[in-house]
Amino acid sequence: MSIVFLPVLIAGVGVLQPAFDLATWQALLVEPQLPLALRHTFFSAIGSTLLAVVLALSTVILLYPSHWWQWLVKRLAVLLAFPHLAFAVGFGFLIAPSGFIARMLAPLFSWSSPPSWQLPQDSYALSLMVGLALKESWFLLWVLTSLLQQHSTLRALHVAQSLGYGRLQIWLQVLLPQVLPRLAWPLMAVLAYSVSVVDMALVLAPTTPPPLAVLGWQWFNDLDPKRFALGSAVSVLLLLIILGLSTLGYGLFKLYPLFNRYLSGKRWRSGLLSSSTLQKAIAINVVLIGWLALILLSIWSFANQWFYPSLLPSTWTLKGWWQLEGTLLTNTLVLGLSSSLVAVIVVISWLEAFAKNRVELWYFPLVLPAVPLVVAQYEVVIRLHSESTYLALVWAHLLWVVPYVLLVLASTYQNFDQRLMLTAQALGHSDARILFQVKLPLLWRPISAAFAVGFAVSVAQYLPTVMIGAGQISTLTTEAVVLSTGGNRRTLAVYALGQALLPWLMFLLMMGLTYWQSYKRSGLR
Amino acid sequence: MKAAAWWLAGIFSAVCVTAQADDWSTIETKAKGQTVYFNAWGGGESINQYIDWAAQETLKRYGVTLKHVKITDAAEVVKRIKTELEAGRTADGTVDLMWINGENFKALKQANALYGNWVEALPNWQWVDVTKPVRQDFSESTHNLEAPWGMAQLTFMADQTKVPTPPRSAKELLVFAKANPEKITYPKPPAFHGTTFLKQVLSELTPDPKVLQQPVDPAKWAEQTQPLWDYLEALHKVAWHNGKVFPASQADMVPLLADGELLIALTFNPNEAANLIESGQLPDSTYSFGFSQGTIGNVHFLAIPSNAKSKEGAQVVANFLLSPEAQARKADVTLWGDPTVLDTSKLTPSQQEAINKKAKGALTENVPTLPELHASWVDALETEWLKRYGSQ
Amino acid sequence: MLQLNNVTITHKKSQQVLIQDLTLAIAKEEIVTLMGASGSGKSILLSWILGALSNDFEAQGNVYLNERVLNLIPINQRKIGIIFQEDTLFAHWSVGQNLAFALPANIKGRKVRRQAIEQVLEQVGLGECYERDPATLSGGQRSRVSVLRAILAQPQALLLDEPFAKLDQALRAQVRAWVFEQVRALEIPVLLVTHDVEDIPKERRVVRLKDDVR
Repeated sequence: MSIVFLPVLIAGVGVLQPAFDLATWQALLVEPQLPLALRHTFFSAIGSTLLAVVLALSTVILLYPSHWWQWLVKRLAVLLAFPHLAFAVGFGFLIAPSGFIARMLAPLFSWSSPPSWQLPQDSYALSLMVGLALKESWFLLWVLTSLLQQHSTLRALHVAQSLGYGRLQIWLQVLLPQVLPRLAWPLMAVLAYSVSVVDMALVLAPTTPPPLAVLGWQWFNDLDPKRFALGSAVSVLLLLIILGLSTLGYGLFKLYPLFNRYLSGKRWRSGLLSSSTLQKAIAINVVLIGWLALILLSIWSFANQWFYPSLLPSTWTLKGWWQLEGTLLTNTLVLGLSSSLVAVIVVISWLEAFAKNRVELWYFPLVLPAVPLVVAQYEVVIRLHSESTYLALVWAHLLWVVPYVLLVLASTYQNFDQRLMLTAQALGHSDARILFQVKLPLLWRPISAAFAVGFAVSVAQYLPTVMIGAGQISTLTTEAVVLSTGGNRRTLAVYALGQALLPWLMFLLMMGLTYWQSYKRSGLR
Repeated sequence: MKAAAWWLAGIFSAVCVTAQADDWSTIETKAKGQTVYFNAWGGGESINQYIDWAAQETLKRYGVTLKHVKITDAAEVVKRIKTELEAGRTADGTVDLMWINGENFKALKQANALYGNWVEALPNWQWVDVTKPVRQDFSESTHNLEAPWGMAQLTFMADQTKVPTPPRSAKELLVFAKANPEKITYPKPPAFHGTTFLKQVLSELTPDPKVLQQPVDPAKWAEQTQPLWDYLEALHKVAWHNGKVFPASQADMVPLLADGELLIALTFNPNEAANLIESGQLPDSTYSFGFSQGTIGNVHFLAIPSNAKSKEGAQVVANFLLSPEAQARKADVTLWGDPTVLDTSKLTPSQQEAINKKAKGALTENVPTLPELHASWVDALETEWLKRYGSQ
Repeated sequence: MLQLNNVTITHKKSQQVLIQDLTLAIAKEEIVTLMGASGSGKSILLSWILGALSNDFEAQGNVYLNERVLNLIPINQRKIGIIFQEDTLFAHWSVGQNLAFALPANIKGRKVRRQAIEQVLEQVGLGECYERDPATLSGGQRSRVSVLRAILAQPQALLLDEPFAKLDQALRAQVRAWVFEQVRALEIPVLLVTHDVEDIPKERRVVRLKDDVR
């Protein structure tokens, strides 16, 4: 595990070194692009995190545990595995002035040419904010789903309801204070992601100037060492922003009980909240934009000529799919499969060896800005003369794949019923045999889920792939980013969709395997 | 005596010729089995397909495996090469051949990061039209460090049904933009095409265009460029999104043009509109046009970094790309349509025919070529532009 | 009176019938014990009466509380209290806050409410416990607080879902006696689910759910 993390930390110090020079900071402060870039970052990061939380929580409050909640949960996996970039592309197809929404409205307002909406790259970074918020709200909902699967939450809800309270009040006063602490890490990951996102920002964020993370990334790629130093300073700044905002969030959370101390016994009226029509509307809306983005990507991938204001392409073609490059597909697959496999093995060995250790430490790559980490990785790899090798790329991906695999596996693994192990030991079997014949098969379901998540994370990696791959090893993701500046929406749609299809197929495969494995053992399902 | 001298000279030149031929066959032998990582912009479908074709041919003919490394910005490659060299990797670099010109070439040349003395030794150099600016790259001498690959000229595209009579100069373009608010823009500098647009406007408006061929004179900078900034101020007021947002690249303008969000898009390839009609990205009614006083044109090149791993392979590839066959195919508008750097009069009639093929939408008129500005202007213009309009 | 009329509960997917055509009336002050093997649908029935039947099941029949049909009334207006086997004290609140949450709003004023709660805590031998963290209480104490919380909301019926199952043998008899005493004082219908014969209060009615109705 240290092999994945340590060299990056050491090189990270080197990368950030220019940031310890006062002159760099002075240069950064007078940089004319800074104030607006900062504003974009704050708007999109704070806005999207808050919006994602509000979206996810209001969905939970209104739906859980209704029929529509279950309906939604079943559809979450697809949205969750929808790579950020692919979603951003589809979302762009939806909201652009010549996008689907405008085309739908065109006949109503008789717009002969596209409206002059400044979308998706609007000057307040709202498109990025909303896009991120939607995507992250699915992630938070997924985290909430697993938290809410415990019966205690449902029972607490029922008890509080039987005491005469409505959903909203129960969530605010009873359930949230219990659920929020366990949401802390996911929330911080969401925040860190939105502060440091590059690939989605390239598609959805304004460019005059871009948000801070993109600016930093561009500076890191600049020929001029002074610019590199600026990039390094920006990384430190991003880190400070993440730390500052999460401290602020933590403080607010700590203040929360203060508003909640005196209980007057008043039951708020909440008739509307349990209406089934409303629940249905909410559940559908949560997935709607994701689906629309997906459908638009699919249509575009087959469109030959599709000009505003046609609602459907005037001519269709398979050209886009025929031109999909095989090597990109195999590269993506090889990297995804090997890094998730290695990650699962590493994580299981680590959990076996240090079962009781705290796992939170290893989540740090998820809460740090990605840009300096990637540059640090590059420094390591170039010293070892191994850039653009598969090995280096797998290593680079592991920095993000391992924490996610750990996130999925850790709690189930540590909560594994030790009595089963004791029973097996009592029967006189060796530890290794028990591990491979009892424990791992019993944990197959979480392990396969972790594998699929790791695969999805690897497929979605843009920065490390483009940096360490040095352009010689490209994946569907790096290609999609290249194409997002290429203006050919058909090809872009094909690559974005391909990037989304792989994780879905993997989830399906894993579900199929689980089903097959547990076909006769309903206890495993 | 005279005869003897002739005889000697004969031997001498024969030796020379053999030596050279020997050299090339040695290079070809060494090249066999090598893998050449060709770093070239990957955003164009037809370009990618052309490089794919070249890869198949070089493998078949010379046993050289050509891998297209698709990049978004050549500056990133320049940066990578420099980082490699700084880290002490003087051999075994990750880039073998790159598509380059202008300030990127200048940067690598100044850093001594290019492999040299190979270009005019290529067997296919004999076909090159040296009357074209193939030895000058943005007023910077190429010094045998990069081989010409293709020609480019700033060209505009519009839809016949929406723009029946196009503007014919920068000034007319401004008038046109005022008459059609929010329908005109240009890619955001430092995107290559955006910077070229600035250079085009500057070339037309500056009182003395000759100074543009010299390095920037900081003392006169403000005075020389003022007409450009005045022009842009006026243009931005009526431009797409009031000049607060710009397309990230030339290619980003294509869908905007297709949907009528923009009325005019620009390109560096006179045949691009034809390609885009062919691939369904632009309506059939699209056409190309230039300015009557001319537009900026330049040559784009191929260079080999000094730390390239497969230098021989890279030369073989560059030589192949310069061959009449490859150049004719590249110039074919149905395939790519990038104008050739070869002297067409030396080519076979069928090759000439491929080169002269005209497709629907391609530039049909003869537009004079304005010379590129000295490379130092690029950085200066980009920096000033970013300062003025980079954040708003 | 809590009354069930021709109640049938079916598992949707497997179409397995858990409760078939059950009719039952529980008078005020009466404790009816519901017994049956695990998986016989006792808890499912309770959750249906409470208004929180899981989506996996569907129910037919009616439930009345004091002549009012409850079927379409949401859980938070049914005025039915519930006590589960696992204690459900809210961990982020003190004992007192847990109880204050249940206390009706018509008891107004910070001081008044606190006094009211301290008084009932005193009555059940938990004086001085207002500020205690529920996690520091013993199992018996916790179940007493749980019952108190349900009672303080002034329910018109009470459902007990194996409330003593987690307590050890010695404590069990003591808590049981105390709970029965409390609920009798309320004069409301009580439905007790258990599979321990010891739990059945003397002189009370027992309904057995058979396994073979499936």
